[in-house]
Amino acid sequence: MNEYIKELILKNLGELKNYFLLNYQVIIEFIIKMFILYFGIFSFAALLTILERKISALIQDRVGPEKANIWKFRLWGLFHPIADGIKIIMKEDFIPKNANKFMFSLAPIITVFSSLIVFAFIPFGNYIQILDHKIKLILIETDIAIFLIIALSSLAIYGVFMGGVFSANSWGILGSMRAIAQLISYEVITLISLLPIILIYTPSTLHDLVEKQSDMFFGIIPNWGIILQPFAFIFFFTAALCENKRIPFDVVEGESEIIGYFTEYSSMRFGAFMFAEYIEIIFFSMLITIFFLGGWNVPFLKDYGFKIFNFVLEIDSKIVYLLELISFIIKVFLVSFIIIFTRWTLPRFRFDQILRLSWEYILPLSIANIIFTAILIRII
Amino acid sequence: MIRTKYIKIKDLNFIEKIYIIEVLKGFVITFKHFFSNLFKMFTNKKIITIRYPEEKIPVLGVAKLKSNHRIKLRHDGTPKCVACMLCSTICPAKCIYIEAEEVESIIEKAPKIFNIDLSKCVMCGLCVEACPEDAISMDKGIFEGGSYNRFLNKSLGGLFYTKKELFLNLENEKISELGASNSLIFRREKYE
Repeated sequence: MNEYIKELILKNLGELKNYFLLNYQVIIEFIIKMFILYFGIFSFAALLTILERKISALIQDRVGPEKANIWKFRLWGLFHPIADGIKIIMKEDFIPKNANKFMFSLAPIITVFSSLIVFAFIPFGNYIQILDHKIKLILIETDIAIFLIIALSSLAIYGVFMGGVFSANSWGILGSMRAIAQLISYEVITLISLLPIILIYTPSTLHDLVEKQSDMFFGIIPNWGIILQPFAFIFFFTAALCENKRIPFDVVEGESEIIGYFTEYSSMRFGAFMFAEYIEIIFFSMLITIFFLGGWNVPFLKDYGFKIFNFVLEIDSKIVYLLELISFIIKVFLVSFIIIFTRWTLPRFRFDQILRLSWEYILPLSIANIIFTAILIRII
Repeated sequence: MIRTKYIKIKDLNFIEKIYIIEVLKGFVITFKHFFSNLFKMFTNKKIITIRYPEEKIPVLGVAKLKSNHRIKLRHDGTPKCVACMLCSTICPAKCIYIEAEEVESIIEKAPKIFNIDLSKCVMCGLCVEACPEDAISMDKGIFEGGSYNRFLNKSLGGLFYTKKELFLNLENEKISELGASNSLIFRREKYE
């Protein structure tokens, strides 16, 4: 029996070796894309932390953080993420006496993992052309990506649950209780509010979905999700805010009430929770960009250049791809900007209000939206 | 008599109940603040905040009378303090330590040691109220109280005031003629 398994493994290893030899270009491309994507996400998340503080300061007529410097070189406080990172690593890593140590340390790992893994299925640009290589800017392209993304991002509930319950703290338990009720009720909406979009465009993959949004109505109005489905956008945006556990839906954390599921966390474990929150902002703004804001599409920009009615400005396709990538990044940036703005504009909902908003208003309305869209598509 | 006042809370109208339009109104306010301040930031105009250690504003009126201590001097440069111990007696934090000494003048008494431990001081200003000689006052204009070593003298960066740092007059100050022993001196000068 043992020898059989050994043989099987050796055989499979041989196949793996063959696969690698045949497809080494693809694999190397994948690894490079992965490093660039995750490096981009990490630096973007770090940027969001300083952006959040700076935006809140400017909204409240303050100056905001600006003192961190390297050789008296301040750059409007852009070095603060580095200072924050160093500070948070230097802190004491504390585990409560009665806590379940294994689960306690597993929780932040799961949270970060579930917030990072989803980026593998999201396209982050159209193509990019380096010399003769035309590289598709997506890590793994599958047709079930939409559902896979929602399923994987809902793994974050486990991190929240474990962090609260196993840290032997009443506030933690209270926080994770609230978090689970809130996340489960909005998990439904995240998917259901996206279904009308899928009904309209019938995409095979996410990449395809964005390409189907490239048309224009009457040559002026872009065929984006937000224009065809404004209500779905509002529902999804609300659900995204709620999944993110941010104000106005932050009863889970409630800075002034309970600290929530990460009460007992310190040092980089707490940093992981905070970092996951900012990564989730990027994730949701990427989803909103792809589903509702036409992804990397720029109005009037086609593969061969700008075309405004009969006027055509031809551009090299390399530069078109680059422009599309830039437009995607700008859109993601703007959406995360608005998510941060929402935090500093709205007051916190009460807990029962959050649940009622979900089950009594948004869920029936989004289901009605699906039915209405389906009927409309049937008629047209 | 207890009066009860009933407050009728207005019902929200339909537009307010939908909430989205009200949210957009809120966004308009925050956007207005954000972009006006962003514009100020890049054109180097001033946002209201005072960046404290780098820029300071003159302390207004009465607030200046709760800064660090000093002891006023007479015309001849001797301290107005007569070591009556009233300030150290009334001090709730017990941060003033005085030892008296005999001097050869009409006042006959002066402090030999006068220490104020700023790390204990609560800045209540009772010593100023208690002083019969108008000697001690808290109008030095220094507010910063941070230090790495509380036992060092204030002049060395600590929090400990001794005679050397305490006995001084402010610049361009009209020398005060208040106080019991001071009037003694003036009366004597008049007679002579």
